[in-house]
Amino acid sequence: MTEAYTPEKRRLEWLYGLLGLYNGLVVLLMAGFMSLTQEKIIKTMSAHAFLTTLPIVPMPAFRGFLASIGAYALMLFLGKLYRHGGLTGGQRHLVFAAEIGVCMLLMRSLNLAYDGVVLLAVADLMHRYQGENQSWLLLGAMVGLYFMANYNLAIFQRHVAPFDVYAAYYRPEVQSVLLAIQNGLISLNIVLFVLYLVLLVQNKHHEKERIASLNKQLEEANVRLRAYAIEAERTAETRERNRLAREIHDTLGHTLTGIVAGLDACLVLVDAAPAAVKKQMEKIRATAQHGIVDVRRSVKKLRPDDLEKMPLQQAVKKVIAEFGASSGVDIHLVELGWPEKLREDEEEVIYRIVQEGITNARRHGKATKVTVTCGLEPGRFYIIIADNGQGCKDLQQGFGLRHMEERLALLHGRLRYWSDKGFTLEATIPMGKNVMDNNGEAEG
Amino acid sequence: MKRGFAIYLAFLLFLTCFLGWYLTRPKVLTIGLFAGSNWNVPEGDSYALLEEAIKRFEAEHPGVTVKYVSGIRKEDYSEWLAERLLKGEEPDIFVVPGEDFNLYASIGALQPLDRSMNGDGAFDPSVYYPGALDYGRYQGVSYALPLGAVTTLMFVNKTLLAQEGIPIPDNNWTWQDFLRICKAVTKDTDGDGRLDQFGVYDYTWRKAALTNDVQIFAEDGKSADFTDSRMEEVMRFMLELHAVSGGQEVTAKDFDMGRVAFRPFTFAEYRTYKPYPWRIKKYSTFEWDCIKLPAGPSGSNSSIMQVMLVGISARSSEPRLAWEFLKTVCYDPAIQEMMLTKSQGLPVRRDVVESARAQALFTATTPGSEAMNLKTVSEVIADSRTEPKFPRYKEAMNLADNRIFHAVQENTSLSNALSQVQKEINIYLQR
Repeated sequence: MTEAYTPEKRRLEWLYGLLGLYNGLVVLLMAGFMSLTQEKIIKTMSAHAFLTTLPIVPMPAFRGFLASIGAYALMLFLGKLYRHGGLTGGQRHLVFAAEIGVCMLLMRSLNLAYDGVVLLAVADLMHRYQGENQSWLLLGAMVGLYFMANYNLAIFQRHVAPFDVYAAYYRPEVQSVLLAIQNGLISLNIVLFVLYLVLLVQNKHHEKERIASLNKQLEEANVRLRAYAIEAERTAETRERNRLAREIHDTLGHTLTGIVAGLDACLVLVDAAPAAVKKQMEKIRATAQHGIVDVRRSVKKLRPDDLEKMPLQQAVKKVIAEFGASSGVDIHLVELGWPEKLREDEEEVIYRIVQEGITNARRHGKATKVTVTCGLEPGRFYIIIADNGQGCKDLQQGFGLRHMEERLALLHGRLRYWSDKGFTLEATIPMGKNVMDNNGEAEG
Repeated sequence: MKRGFAIYLAFLLFLTCFLGWYLTRPKVLTIGLFAGSNWNVPEGDSYALLEEAIKRFEAEHPGVTVKYVSGIRKEDYSEWLAERLLKGEEPDIFVVPGEDFNLYASIGALQPLDRSMNGDGAFDPSVYYPGALDYGRYQGVSYALPLGAVTTLMFVNKTLLAQEGIPIPDNNWTWQDFLRICKAVTKDTDGDGRLDQFGVYDYTWRKAALTNDVQIFAEDGKSADFTDSRMEEVMRFMLELHAVSGGQEVTAKDFDMGRVAFRPFTFAEYRTYKPYPWRIKKYSTFEWDCIKLPAGPSGSNSSIMQVMLVGISARSSEPRLAWEFLKTVCYDPAIQEMMLTKSQGLPVRRDVVESARAQALFTATTPGSEAMNLKTVSEVIADSRTEPKFPRYKEAMNLADNRIFHAVQENTSLSNALSQVQKEINIYLQR
């Protein structure tokens, strides 16, 4: 057991040990008294008279004594086994059932003179008791045990030699002392047991408090962590913005400055030396060309890594798989068709829409199931992302949706979305010769 | 792995040794019985029958030894047996005193025999006299088998009756015949004003009750009924009988001197005193014989039977062998026949009692009993009753004896006296 060993726990263990020791002592006393009395009865030639007062033939004195002590030792061992961790639930129940059985056997061999050992079994049962919903189980078990003890008392009554008969062998004044001692022993056991219970309940209560305090600490840590995550996201965004600014400054700024400076020179030279202007224009063109290369390189750096490494189809599958795995959302991809050839910017838009769509489904819709359908129709390619989330009644276009729309608009595409059972998003991108040409022109 | 194998091997070896020892160890059956006769008569060799049975049993079951402790007196036996039971060292098979039978059967000291009886093809319980077999039953379950029995008969002083000119009554006689003869023989012969010839000695109300079909005690011995009309008949008869001698006490000496006509007598006593040497020592001055007891108006000439029971300990480690031995002692016809030669009791197997061999043996061992036909004896046994055997029967009866004696002495109203007795006995029984 890895639990902390508190002084409280030590006190509980100590009291349990005392309970065990005390019960052992009482068992020893009772068994000893009865076997000694039996021996005495034989010695004083009153065996026949004694037998006539009994409902059974009692066990021989020494054997009865050994049976009681043996049964008690076995019961202690089973109790220890039961209290000890490292047993499965079934095994533990089996051990406890065996303990009850041995307990009954012990009571029987003690001629029912002492039923305090039942409390020892209850103490064992209480020890393993955990959780709120088990309190009913415990109550049931205790009532069952109590009835069992009484039931056994009722049936065994005709099958044991009662303590009173043993006591009756002695003079009346001794008899009353003996019965008083017997009652005293039983009462003291009950006192010890109640003390144990009180301590146990107290212990459980403190443990619960400790767990509650730990939970509170955990909650606080969680809140802090969440704030930190938001902070980190914001930092990353700033960094990205700074990088973009730097890129723009380094590439476009640099090139445009060069071009402006060159054009200024051209303006001065254009009348005086047209030949020099031509030469200068050559240089400006080279600078602009270089700038374009630089911008392209920068844009490339902004492209998702996956798209860089693998075709769109695989990249989409990968992002779906990864998101599904990390967020636990069940995402299903239905592929009804893929365009044969796509430009890089088209690929990127499609990839981003899928990425943004499933992210939204999870973040805003709290969806657990998302179906991504992509298909090809004459003249256009479409993607439908439908989820089973809560959707939203009055749609407020957020950053994500606006971005998607803007991106699609660049490709002359369209975005539609609606919310009924969950949220559905449909993006269409025109495909075909005209568009291609158009775009090609734009690119050129 | 190697160590595990070694342990396994050692365990196997141990098991083999243990089994070998267990199966070949000498089996010992112990028997519990007392010295002397069960029927309160002198008996020469009380272990003769048992020794014969042991000899036969050991011959049939090699490797089995049967032991018994000798020298326990009959009066100590009950306590001895209780001690053994309390120590857990009781014999496998033991004689169960009648008054202890219910106790031992109820506290589970005796092994129920029904399963052995029904499962054993070589055992037929119908050969026993039903009364004898029933005596070993408690709440419908057999716990012991009868070994021998004796019945109670009426001793008749033939010489005295002949002197008075009265014929010996036949076996169907009644209380009225009995009373009439008693009245006729009771007289003062020497003219000193005191009676010195009597009708009967030692005839108690219990015998009268049994021959008038009175059932005093409930089966479980927890209550008694003295107010039955048949009990009143018994009391009235006893008063009349008592009145015959005018209140004068009849003594054993009167009887021994041959001055009493009748005396209830057990068959064991008959068999003991009839042959030589007892015949000379006691009752040598007159001729005598035995007949059935007189029948009451509501009863029959039934006799009272005492049965000797043998049972098996419930904790016996050899129940099968114990049953076999019990069968040898209580069932084997040869051993049963030996009851006639080695003891004073009677066999409890009807077929044995009624066999010609038994009659010959009986005549040989009990000379002078030519008149006694075992066929008649058999009838008497079959028609006899057994006394209740619950634990406090003896004490209850002694108490009843005492109270009834006083009631008879004081001549109080019969029904009043009886209900008074009933009340007291019930209080005693329920205590």
